[in-house]
Amino acid sequence: MPVKVALSSFRDRTQEFQSVAERLRKSFSSRPGQNGASSSRSRAEEQRSVVAHQSEFNRRASKIGFGIHQTSQKLSKLAKLAKRTSVFDDPTMEIQEITAVIKQDITALNSAVVDLQLFCNSRNEGSISSDTSSHSTTVVDDLKNRLMSTTKEFKDVLTMRTENLKVHENRRQLFSSTASKDSPNPFARQRPLAIKSAAGASNNLPQWANGSASSSQLFPRKQMDGESQPLLQDQQQQQQMVPLQDTYMQSRAEALQNVESTIHELGTIFNQLATLVSQQGEIAIRIDENMDDTLANVEGAQGALLKYLNSISSNRWLMIKIFFVLIVFLMVFLFFVA
Amino acid sequence: MKITSLLVLKCQPEGSDPVILANASDVTHFGYFQRSSIREFIVFVSRTVAKRTPSGQRQSVQHEEYMVHSYNRNGLCAIGFMDGHYPVRSAFSLLNQVLDEYQKSFGESWRAAQADSTQTWPYLDEALTKFQDPAEADKLLKIQRELDETKIILHKTIDSVLARGEKLDSLVEKSSDLSAASQMFYNQAKRNNQCCSIL
Repeated sequence: MPVKVALSSFRDRTQEFQSVAERLRKSFSSRPGQNGASSSRSRAEEQRSVVAHQSEFNRRASKIGFGIHQTSQKLSKLAKLAKRTSVFDDPTMEIQEITAVIKQDITALNSAVVDLQLFCNSRNEGSISSDTSSHSTTVVDDLKNRLMSTTKEFKDVLTMRTENLKVHENRRQLFSSTASKDSPNPFARQRPLAIKSAAGASNNLPQWANGSASSSQLFPRKQMDGESQPLLQDQQQQQQMVPLQDTYMQSRAEALQNVESTIHELGTIFNQLATLVSQQGEIAIRIDENMDDTLANVEGAQGALLKYLNSISSNRWLMIKIFFVLIVFLMVFLFFVA
Repeated sequence: MKITSLLVLKCQPEGSDPVILANASDVTHFGYFQRSSIREFIVFVSRTVAKRTPSGQRQSVQHEEYMVHSYNRNGLCAIGFMDGHYPVRSAFSLLNQVLDEYQKSFGESWRAAQADSTQTWPYLDEALTKFQDPAEADKLLKIQRELDETKIILHKTIDSVLARGEKLDSLVEKSSDLSAASQMFYNQAKRNNQCCSIL
């Protein structure tokens, strides 16, 4: 059973193995006796079953490798389409189809690789040489790596596409005001695919799918005037319908975030208020101390002045004493002169 | 910001027209002769919109100068006719409330309704007048408004605290000047005493 050419990191030794098996069978069958025959038969069966397992394994591995190759080809086509998209000529439908197909392929390949690994593990529990087991594990690892790189490329392509769309949306907003409703549609579709989570995807996908179908029927009926008007509005409304669920949820989320940030700001304002008030408290204490000092000074000064007053009022006795002494001096002076 | 009409409809499975379960309309600002035609118009548009709203989905439709918001929940559909200024989110939370109230008061009996019910539901009329102001319907909006008021008050408080700080600064200057002056006074008085004790 030939292994696919692309899996080149290991050698295909099936032919050698089969030739060895033939040789061993021949050598066993040449020995006489039933034991030899039965053992050889069982050995041959074992070998054949091993060969069958190996070929089964190889077949699966080759299928998976081929699938990965096809998926990467589709991915390159998608990348080309995504790069090519311009403002007005948007191959949205194709891109989304290809994206859906690629996603399905990747999930299928993923499950196939997991199955292959289980199969390989279950088979390894039998009596097989270490070479085969290492060979099979190498094959499985290689397939897994390839699948991972393909998935990564897929994600890159999707992000590139969303960036392109954003750029186009900005340019469109610059040039016209009414066409801005066109872009959320692919966003709404891309988001579930890009995130690849089951809950988000299953919620969003049926709703917008229903929404776009219903709104397109609604508007041609409601508008009785010219044809172009309903068509334009139809497209706009179709685009509007799809993100309405999202818009509603988004606006709720925005409002909640606003409330949260306002509360946060209020908290900061309260903190600042507390800081200011505590600083002013210090200032008030300083004022209090200053007043106490003033009080003490004034009282001391009052005491000093009282003493001065006392000393002033009692000074006359001193003066009389001094006058007496002066008069005595005068008298003595007069006695000596006269 | 005005609500013109609120309706509750039962959405039939595909094909037939929805059945009106409750209707509250405020057509007073139209001329007398236009009122009945406006009512017909409201009924027709709400039937059409409700028919086109899939289950579990919200929809907003612009028709002339009105925004028609509809919310379909498990076959029970609430529709509101509002003008363009009414915030979309409050509209949908109002519709949510109306549906909850309807299910609380009527349980599951509406599922059996086959013809348009003509009796009025007083809650819907009250709701129409009460919720002219979107803040009533939408708690988030109310909370946001109160928070903004609180923020304004806090700003004023901080301004007054800053003014208080300035006054306290001037007070501290004056009190320190006062204490310096009183100290000089005390020293002077002491010097007076010491110097003239001889005389």
